[in-house]
Amino acid sequence: MSIVQSPEGFATADQPSVSSERWRARLRRLRPGLVLAWATVAIAVAWATLPWLFTSYSPVDGVPRQRRLPPGALHWFGTDELGRDLYARVVHGAVHTLSGALISVAVGLAMGTLIGLIAGSVERRLDDAIMRVIDVMLAVPALLLSLSIIIILGFGTVNAAIAVGVASIASFARLARSEVVRVRRMDYVEAAFGSGGRFFAVLWRHVLPNSLTAVLALAALQFGHAVLAISTLGFLGYGAPPPTPEWGLLISEGRNYISTAWWLTVFPGLVVVAVVLAANRIGQSLVRRTL
Amino acid sequence: MARYILTRLLQAVFVLWAAFTVSFILLQALPGDEILIKFENPDLGLSKQQIADIRLAYGADVPLHQQYLFSLGRVLSGQLGNSIQRGVPVIDAIAANLPSTLRLTVLGFVTAASLALVIAFLATLTPFAFLRSLLRGLPSLFISLPVFWLGIVLIQVFSFQLKLIPVIGAGPWEGLVLPVLALAVPISAPLAQVLVRSIDEVETQGFVAVARAKGASRRWVLWRHVFRNAVPPTLTIGGVLFGELLAGAVVTETVFGLNGLGRLTEQAVNLQDAAILQAIVLIAALGFVLVNLSVDLVMPILDPRLRKAFGGAS
Amino acid sequence: MSDGLRTPAPSRRAFLAGTASLATSVALGSGVGAVQAQGTAPVTGGRLVYLEQQAHTNLYPPAGGFYPNGGVLNQITDKLTYQNPKTLKIEPWLAESWSFNADRTEYVFKLRKGVTFSDGTPLDAAAVAKNFDVYGKGSKELRHPVSEVINNYAGSEVVDPLTVRFRFSKPSPGFLQGTSVIGSGIVSPATLDRRFDELGDATKIIGSGPFVVASEQLGRELVLAARKDYAWAPASSANQGRPYLDEIRYIVTGEDSVRIGALLAGQADVIRQVQAYDEAQVEKAGYRIYAPSTRGVNNSVVFRPDNPLVADIRVRRALLHATNAKEIVESLFSEHYPQATSVIASTAQGYVNLSDKLTFDPAKAQALLDEAGWKPGRNGVRQRGAQELALTAYESLPQPQNRATLQLIAQQWARVGVKLTVLAGDSGSRATDDLDPLKTPVSPAMVGRADPDVIKSQYHWENRDMLRQKPGRGKVNEFVDAKLNELLEAIAAEVNEEKRLDYVVQVQTYLLDQAYVIPIFEEPQAFAAAPYVQGLGFEAVGRPSFYNTWLAKR
Repeated sequence: MSIVQSPEGFATADQPSVSSERWRARLRRLRPGLVLAWATVAIAVAWATLPWLFTSYSPVDGVPRQRRLPPGALHWFGTDELGRDLYARVVHGAVHTLSGALISVAVGLAMGTLIGLIAGSVERRLDDAIMRVIDVMLAVPALLLSLSIIIILGFGTVNAAIAVGVASIASFARLARSEVVRVRRMDYVEAAFGSGGRFFAVLWRHVLPNSLTAVLALAALQFGHAVLAISTLGFLGYGAPPPTPEWGLLISEGRNYISTAWWLTVFPGLVVVAVVLAANRIGQSLVRRTL
Repeated sequence: MARYILTRLLQAVFVLWAAFTVSFILLQALPGDEILIKFENPDLGLSKQQIADIRLAYGADVPLHQQYLFSLGRVLSGQLGNSIQRGVPVIDAIAANLPSTLRLTVLGFVTAASLALVIAFLATLTPFAFLRSLLRGLPSLFISLPVFWLGIVLIQVFSFQLKLIPVIGAGPWEGLVLPVLALAVPISAPLAQVLVRSIDEVETQGFVAVARAKGASRRWVLWRHVFRNAVPPTLTIGGVLFGELLAGAVVTETVFGLNGLGRLTEQAVNLQDAAILQAIVLIAALGFVLVNLSVDLVMPILDPRLRKAFGGAS
Repeated sequence: MSDGLRTPAPSRRAFLAGTASLATSVALGSGVGAVQAQGTAPVTGGRLVYLEQQAHTNLYPPAGGFYPNGGVLNQITDKLTYQNPKTLKIEPWLAESWSFNADRTEYVFKLRKGVTFSDGTPLDAAAVAKNFDVYGKGSKELRHPVSEVINNYAGSEVVDPLTVRFRFSKPSPGFLQGTSVIGSGIVSPATLDRRFDELGDATKIIGSGPFVVASEQLGRELVLAARKDYAWAPASSANQGRPYLDEIRYIVTGEDSVRIGALLAGQADVIRQVQAYDEAQVEKAGYRIYAPSTRGVNNSVVFRPDNPLVADIRVRRALLHATNAKEIVESLFSEHYPQATSVIASTAQGYVNLSDKLTFDPAKAQALLDEAGWKPGRNGVRQRGAQELALTAYESLPQPQNRATLQLIAQQWARVGVKLTVLAGDSGSRATDDLDPLKTPVSPAMVGRADPDVIKSQYHWENRDMLRQKPGRGKVNEFVDAKLNELLEAIAAEVNEEKRLDYVVQVQTYLLDQAYVIPIFEEPQAFAAAPYVQGLGFEAVGRPSFYNTWLAKR
């Protein structure tokens, strides 16, 4: 959620306390690409939360007579093989894809940070043991891990998201651990431990907050990655069951018709690219600020 | 030094064993089993009694720990067994799929690295500011492209509409052009980003100014110092990405109708083809261990700072 | 769930079935009436590129029901007898003649002279005896399963090098037709000495067919080479010598859009599984669609009445009348997929037109559901007490556009207040859940087979058991339909052909009266070929035969 709450130079731009000159200076520094990225994410979030504002068509109930109509005034993105409005399906699909990405980032972030924090804080041998377990997680092919998790939990967007999240735990854990190790070496943390601060208290008050910035930046980048990973699983047939209009599934189902109905593949694909691009752009701006 | 290598080797063996065990547990957790999937299939039209006989013959219902010990023993004795689903020795199935995946993956990585290098240098050396920022934006775009979507679009445009590059029945190298491209584009993005960042850092560092003041050309300085500084992180990323490439191969293989380890894995999970899965897990774990081992051993040679730390540690 | 096995089962007597409704009925013989360019003689030589949707699995001949397996086995093995795909008559092939005793417990086959396997060993009585010993009894130590089409097999006897006798423990009138199916392809004894687990390697399958496996990249590509010394085609075949093609390259290409694109871009010559929505562009480009019928049980939706939700006949009948098969066929398919008018295809034996029982009548459906106590509830889903009328079905991957079909059915059922969830699961969950009527109250089903026995095989609990009855293999509490089973057993046991077909009619009527089944359309196997591909043939249930195929000038 940090992405939505801390837009760089955007939310702060219209704060009244800023003098008009500084305001203009900020505006000049404001990069149009980043603004566009925030706008894209905002639209996607609006689609996910208030889809009925954007379309009056049903995403699951079509008119079979109006199947595979090319894009036009009535159907902006055209219609699919069952006569469903593709634009409506994309809009209503946003909630599945975006919430899936959030869940997967949350899983990876929470579990990974926890493991990394513990590994980085405990004694050497335990740390080694934990990191070997992480190695094992990395050594088992991520594909096998993700697919097995989905099969065990059952097919669906949420389960696919969890699978993607679990597969990302290892990289979060590695980063979190190295950050914790770095922060622990800092003088004031050493001092806090030295001055008799209780282990967990120091961990909670000093180590975690200071390690978290880099991890959160990774989370922002991971968001875009998760959107892609979830749609890839949908494409391989391990995502949401039909008729859920999850974006990966839309591309996956549309690809069969590509030579006669290109719009079924192209439009959902462009939407995915736009949202992931925006998420990555924002993630990078956060990374740049933290480094 | 010797002790360090020995420790790393022991750790590698542990990772292999643990990966094998994890895969065994995962397989047990999946609903149904391979005998059920293979023989309950109505295509064979077998009766209830015949299926019961087959389960007995394959020992499908012996206690789990016996099954585990049996398959571990089989692997330790160097045998991979036969795939019940496919009716071929596992070694044949792997041999049929591994080379094409390796070719795809290695070419994909090499192409990605070259692409990243080109983008990075153009993005820093191009004279016009707007061109530079455009080039700098390319990696962000590349990393945002779903591989499967890119693949579909590439095939339709270049193979079927423009008829430039055949994908079916083409020569072994010709047919790889589009898959390699589809695989390389997203992979090149993080590499290019690392390179661009290192170039920026190098440019702002003091020794560059000194070198240039001594009359070295900018280009020479860049080549010499950027390589020094950018190769270690690139290698690290490469080590991680290589594993990801194998997973990414499943999508490319699906879209382009190629067969390879990725597809084999996907089908083996779906059909719970235990023998094949265990072999794949061992191969992947071995690959992971080797790549990491070599990155760990090569890095100190490339980076003097690490060499010192390394020397101190051992 | 049950597709793939398109094996003709034993038939007592050849039966003439019309091949109406097929645009390509002329092309249906592998030997007879193959399409040829106006008056031009076939050209020998050349390589054909054939794109297959799925890789073959185990090539043990009785596993030839799986479509990709049959597509390979049909080129590399011959059978004792040949079922003419046009007339469905049994003709001589590897067997020159045959005889059987009055109660059909003994068959004697006289073999053709001079036939050899591709490894040079002779195809003699001993080899044939060994084949049927394995197919009829299976093999415990080599793990070969028993063939579905051979029943009550007792043993064989080599009378002389070219004469073999088979004995059966009970009358087995279907055995003669059973020798003509792909599942009874004759392979060399050396092949059968291999373990079942090794027969997925096509190069290990040694047959006597017009083509030989030259090389294989497992799961990816298969090269078949012509046998230059092939000289034992069925008498009705136009070609009696070597196959015209030098080589066939099978390439496994799973993506529908890549197969069709590659064909139209000139990268392939013949492709299997063309979806109806691509037919128009294929024909527009001057290419040809072949859609041989599978002559079996129609593409349908079946109920598992052991599930309490569909145990009530009124609910099943309501759903039957809520299903608009016409809309499905018109929206998703083409003229090659005729709307179903009964449980089995109109080209199947014993077919009777029952379209008056299959009317689309939403008002009647609503009334029936009201009567059964299912009242309109929240979210438009009907309820009885706290229970919702919500059903689930797994999509069937091999059936054409099954996901779209089920989704359209779900839309149609939603209009009368019934929710249908379409699941796409992994093979393990699918195989497990399919045995449990509580998890799969509804299931898509079809099976192709050119014999009246097909309907018995599909619904009897001993065989495929699609309705999931108690004695069968499912997790069933109580459902069993004695009357249905009696009728089905009569089909299998009846000696008199007319009476037998009458039972087939009775079964179709009974299945629809009980609303166990909702037939949707008659499923063909759809192929597309470049215009210069001549003489493409298909056996009785639509598997390709390349023996008579040749490539005209492009």
